[in-house]
Amino acid sequence: MSGATRGARCGFCAGARAIAGREFAAYLDSKIAYVYTIAFVLLANLVFMNGFFLTGTVDMTGFFELMPWLLPVFLPAVAMRLWAEERRTRTIELLLTMPIRPLQAVLGKYAAALSLFLLSLAGTLPIPVMLCFLGDPDLGLIVSGYLGVLLSGAMFLALGMFVSALASDQIVAFVIAALFSSLFVLTGWDAFVAVADGRWPALSLGTLFCEWFSIMPHFEAFVRGVVGLSSLAYLGGLSLLFLWANALALELNRE
Amino acid sequence: MIHVENVTKRFGAVTAVDSVSFAIGEGEVVGFLGKNGAGKSTLLKMLCTWLLPTRGRITIAGHDAAREPLAVRQAIGYLPEHNALYEGMKVDRFLRFAGRLRGLDGARYAERRDWVVERCGLEAVLSRWIHQCSKGYRQRIGVAAALLHDPPVLILDEPTHGLDALQVAAFRQFIDGLRAGRAILFSSHVLAEVTSISQRLLIINDGVLLADTPVATLRAQATARGVDLEEALLDMVRAAGGKS
Repeated sequence: MSGATRGARCGFCAGARAIAGREFAAYLDSKIAYVYTIAFVLLANLVFMNGFFLTGTVDMTGFFELMPWLLPVFLPAVAMRLWAEERRTRTIELLLTMPIRPLQAVLGKYAAALSLFLLSLAGTLPIPVMLCFLGDPDLGLIVSGYLGVLLSGAMFLALGMFVSALASDQIVAFVIAALFSSLFVLTGWDAFVAVADGRWPALSLGTLFCEWFSIMPHFEAFVRGVVGLSSLAYLGGLSLLFLWANALALELNRE
Repeated sequence: MIHVENVTKRFGAVTAVDSVSFAIGEGEVVGFLGKNGAGKSTLLKMLCTWLLPTRGRITIAGHDAAREPLAVRQAIGYLPEHNALYEGMKVDRFLRFAGRLRGLDGARYAERRDWVVERCGLEAVLSRWIHQCSKGYRQRIGVAAALLHDPPVLILDEPTHGLDALQVAAFRQFIDGLRAGRAILFSSHVLAEVTSISQRLLIINDGVLLADTPVATLRAQATARGVDLEEALLDMVRAAGGKS
């Protein structure tokens, strides 16, 4: 006789792992993963090399300073398909009527997107290897810089995935996520802060946004080699907040 | 196994399902009949926990669909309308994925996979990409994924949609073979299919359940009135204020 308890309950991690595996395989099956990875690695390496040969210093500061401007464009392109594609192909109903929690699906997809991002970052590792051959770079600075890139990227991915859960279309998801991700960077840009402060001196809006909203002060701290608790909490907290909001959005879809 | 009590679903000002109640027990195959937009799919989506009722209560295999959605999902096998599948996966990989989400692994998974592959006749397409499979095979793949964990409740939304007459006949036999120990509810807007497969009919129109009657009783009533079954059902819908 059949019974609801016949199938063993899917453990939280096992379910998330299954989804991560399927999603990562889907990335590898699609052209976008290759286009994204190649474009990201080429652009990051080329821009760094150009600056490196001009300045002639054996460090990666130029490379890390470039990242906040690249990630808000590249990472929404990775995240845009995560839910919008499921909705377009109607597989979202199949997936979310399986005995899994929305958070499992969110974390599984997030892990897949994060893996693709890590793979792209791995493509930039020849830079520190080359620097080690050419001189004696500060490895602590390089590690903390990479940590800053990783945490900022993780936050942009979580944001992009949340937007993908709300948007009806991949392109709409990309545009909105890129816009919001850029705001996190632009509000920390010196020119923006100066203009906003100058326009409303009494409110100091530019400084306010830079200190409370922008990722830039935190990211720049990592590039300087300062791994502060507040920066870790800010970037990690925002990522968790967007992932939780994503799971909540899926849950509310049932209403 | 399936208990639906006064279930209503509203989308804003639109009432898609209005105070529907019925129950389906073990061993029953029940057809859910209604025209397009009558509320069939909305009700099935609530049964499989994809949607929450605005009002009322759904219990599947003893679990409340609103409070214990995971237990309900584990107890049902669901074939959604349109049977959307992951096109970029091979059939074998897709079944493994569905099995892992259902908590099946190792020997248990292999045993269940062999069973559904044999029952659904999927041997020939196991190593094929899903997007390469015919409509008939795709339906079988969807049903195989729904049956993988041996659920006591099977909910199939338009399972014969797009199948030819031979495939529908095969599907009828297939469902007959699954009847023991299960409650099976399937929807269709094709009367002949529903009456040939099920013992009992639920007829819904504009979100309201018009009838919950054994097929044999409906046939007897139609014969007594000197009309065929289809005409009798259309009269029922017309009397309820629908346009048929």
